[in-house]
Amino acid sequence: MFNVILPRILWILGLILAQTLVFNHIHLIGYATPMPYVYALIMLPHGTSRWIYVVLGFALGLVVDTLSNTVGAAAGALTLVGLVTPLLLRAFAPDDKLEEEFTPSIRTMQWSGFLKFAIAVTFIHTMVFFLLETFSLFDPLRLLIEVVSSTALTVIFMATFEKLRNTSRSA
Amino acid sequence: MQILLDFLRRYNYLFLFILLEGISLTLLFQFNNYQGSVWNTAANESAAKANETYASLEAYFKLGDINALLTTENTKLQQENAVLRAALDSATHDTTFTERKVRQELAGFQLLPARVVSNGVRRGHDGYLVINRGRKDGVRPEMGVVGGGGVIGIVYLVGENYALIIPVTHTKSSISCRVRGKNYFGYLQWDGGSTRMAQLDDVPRYAKTRAGNVIETSGYSSVFPPGIFVGRVHKVSNSSDGQSYRLDIVLGTDFANLRDVNVVVTPYKAEIRQLQEKADSLQ
Repeated sequence: MFNVILPRILWILGLILAQTLVFNHIHLIGYATPMPYVYALIMLPHGTSRWIYVVLGFALGLVVDTLSNTVGAAAGALTLVGLVTPLLLRAFAPDDKLEEEFTPSIRTMQWSGFLKFAIAVTFIHTMVFFLLETFSLFDPLRLLIEVVSSTALTVIFMATFEKLRNTSRSA
Repeated sequence: MQILLDFLRRYNYLFLFILLEGISLTLLFQFNNYQGSVWNTAANESAAKANETYASLEAYFKLGDINALLTTENTKLQQENAVLRAALDSATHDTTFTERKVRQELAGFQLLPARVVSNGVRRGHDGYLVINRGRKDGVRPEMGVVGGGGVIGIVYLVGENYALIIPVTHTKSSISCRVRGKNYFGYLQWDGGSTRMAQLDDVPRYAKTRAGNVIETSGYSSVFPPGIFVGRVHKVSNSSDGQSYRLDIVLGTDFANLRDVNVVVTPYKAEIRQLQEKADSLQ
């Protein structure tokens, strides 16, 4: 149990640190900002109580908000993501895995399943985050570009983490 | 109860989500000026919209009361209108030529408007008129009374608030009149017949009067100023003694339809009488 939880806590702390120290300063072509801290919710195992998703999302969001001075935006977005992630996981997970407990990864879901899942979760998060942050539809095109590019960049980073994690584990 | 508890237990994450999302949004609006102001504006707007809708709804339901109020007010205004119209009528009664003429002649005299409150004038009867002005208003006996159609009569008795008038159509009435433009004068009498007719006696035979001539006050009596319209000559006939003419006059005043009259206030009457007496004593 400890062996499972400790690496996750470390991962979460690492994601938060990376976000505040590195990713927040990336504004690729002025639009795309990676937000791979969503990864903390994605890697929760299937069958985790849904309230844990919600609470974790809120807590994580609150910390990220505090450290990156976007009070409320990430918390709001991640709480919502916490609510819908189990549903998305159920939708994108392979049918034969749903009966048992499994951790979403490229190993259990294949690249296609995992990427679809990650893209869906990330897209919802970035969209809600940017909506809350701009809080206007004054420039919808710019908003869309920001959402799409940030989603893409975040998914790329997450895929990298996933690759790293699995190769390190298998190695 | 059990079902409710089960429901709460089963969907606890949903309530948790609502709570935490609420906290997140509160933080968002609390600590971000822009989002907070947008949110407040929107909230204010929707609150104002709701208030407006409520107010218009309330106004709609109040329409019944307002309608009743308006009806009352309308009735009140109609009454006021009637009163004002009557006042205007009496103020601008002057429409006919005769009346204008009468007013012209009376221009230098003070006229006291009055209303006939009792009218006893009728065919073959010595009736009196009562007007709603008396001593209090400055009416004194022997003042002349004129109306839109010309001479009406002379004040006979005066009460505090009312006055009795001997109309032209009274056998005791005798007013000095003349034929307009000829200066032959006589006394206007009434034979007790029609209230539209009176007689002018003692008109000299050499006075060439014809039917249609205008009869007006002579001004000799000091009751009426000279030139007030009385009526028109209807028929010229011999008087009973055969020495003068007797003129049948169609009166300008319709006593059957009499409402607004004017009392001719002649403050110098005493002075005139004094002068007359002085003149008499000189002869």
